[in-house]
Amino acid sequence: MKKLILAAAALIVLGTTAQAQETVRIATEGAYAPWNFLDDSGKPAGYEIDLANAICAQAALTCEIITNDWDSIIPNLLAGNYDVIMAGMSITDERRQTINFTQEYFPADPSRYVALAGTEIDFDNLSGVRIGAQSGTIQATYAQDNLAADNTVIVFNTADQAVADLAASNLDVIFADGAYVDPIVAASNGTIEYIGPEIMIGDGMAAGLRKDEAALEATLNDAITALKADGTMDKLIAQWFDGRGPYYAQ
Amino acid sequence: MSDNLAFWLSYLTNGKHLTWYASFQFTIFAALAGGMLAVIFGLAGATLKNSRFFALRLIGSTYSSIVRGVPDVLFFLFFPLAFEQAVEWFMASQVCTPETLAAQSATWPPCKEANWFLGTPEYLILASVSLGLVYGAFATNVIHGAMRSVPQGQLEAARAYGMSATQVLWRVHIRQMWVYALPGLSNVWMLIVKATSLLSLLQIADIVLWADRLGAPNYLSAVGLVHDDWRWRYYLVLFVFYILVTFASEKAFGALMNRAGRGILSEARS
Repeated sequence: MKKLILAAAALIVLGTTAQAQETVRIATEGAYAPWNFLDDSGKPAGYEIDLANAICAQAALTCEIITNDWDSIIPNLLAGNYDVIMAGMSITDERRQTINFTQEYFPADPSRYVALAGTEIDFDNLSGVRIGAQSGTIQATYAQDNLAADNTVIVFNTADQAVADLAASNLDVIFADGAYVDPIVAASNGTIEYIGPEIMIGDGMAAGLRKDEAALEATLNDAITALKADGTMDKLIAQWFDGRGPYYAQ
Repeated sequence: MSDNLAFWLSYLTNGKHLTWYASFQFTIFAALAGGMLAVIFGLAGATLKNSRFFALRLIGSTYSSIVRGVPDVLFFLFFPLAFEQAVEWFMASQVCTPETLAAQSATWPPCKEANWFLGTPEYLILASVSLGLVYGAFATNVIHGAMRSVPQGQLEAARAYGMSATQVLWRVHIRQMWVYALPGLSNVWMLIVKATSLLSLLQIADIVLWADRLGAPNYLSAVGLVHDDWRWRYYLVLFVFYILVTFASEKAFGALMNRAGRGILSEARS
């Protein structure tokens, strides 16, 4: 019986590793519009999904896009559950210690504070403020490093939950990627507005890979270079981010 | 009005919502498989606890007292991870060669060939086993108590008929035990049903995760219907689902109780 179980386990393991090598598995969060979200049909959609498809077509790779919670997205990459992360992840030195990044596919963008309309906060000496951010993001790290002493930093599993809590007045401000809050501020009919300074943290956004995937990294980098040169990437950014750019066309 | 109705009908049947409805199967599967395993582990645990040998008794009572004390959330996170790494460790000792070991830069798994990819089906099975292990410890106590409640006279009579120890156990002891165990087991079952709301911890896109996603406020028309925080409406649906399950479970256990009490011990039938 024991041998049977072990043999079955061996079969499962061998079977799944053999499959994993044929397609490149790309993980996304599916809760960070407009980079990635689940559309009405329940499938991943957004800028990064269109870009991933363009990259895979350019590099002649077979790709599969799967969703994974933001919190565990780096550990599960290291565990080999998928090969690439494309989830609105900014390049930081801290993340570089565990994973490699391709060249950026979305330019560095200032982080912004947003609050309910009419909120007044003194940003010169910020204290006693409830600040919301998505856990594990560059904004959460920044807030915990610089603001946690005098303020309450509350982290959420998804950025949407932070917005929901702001709308319910459980938070004073949210600190998030500018391009993430832009459409929210625009669509809120004036109930949510920008407040305080713009702060530049992190480099651009890029795809993350395990450090031992040098060949795949080179393939993706070549494809990204080609898509930057032929204007595909600028077109996609303008399409998903309300006419931003162009950033990359020569 | 009819426009409104048509809109809601199509909104509530779009692909996202259909995926949500389909995800109820994960919850139901985990509850049923977890419940079945809990009874099996409970029977095994109770048999160990009743054993004549001290070592076996020790294993049985250690299992029921330690695992009952561990929070189910913790066990849910611990067991699948530990099991995955144990399988990978075993595979590594079989398939890794010095070259593949050297090629691997990540700390785990030891080499790429030993990596085990866990998808939803694997996680679902591991989740069911975790549920079975945690609540099997409770079932152990329930069944152990129920086995002691079977009147000694019944067992003596069975022995007097010349039945062997195994025959007494299977034909008389366990048969009559159910009447005493079922009320406690129905309690354990309800705990299992409640614990199925933890599935999303294991990357399973279950009903709770989808309720969260569908209810989250949406400001972008490209994403879908623009609405504010609707989470409570979706949670309300889950409330109703769990209440219906409770109701159906009570009916089912009532029927089981009647069946288990047939012909024996009229006082056990309430």
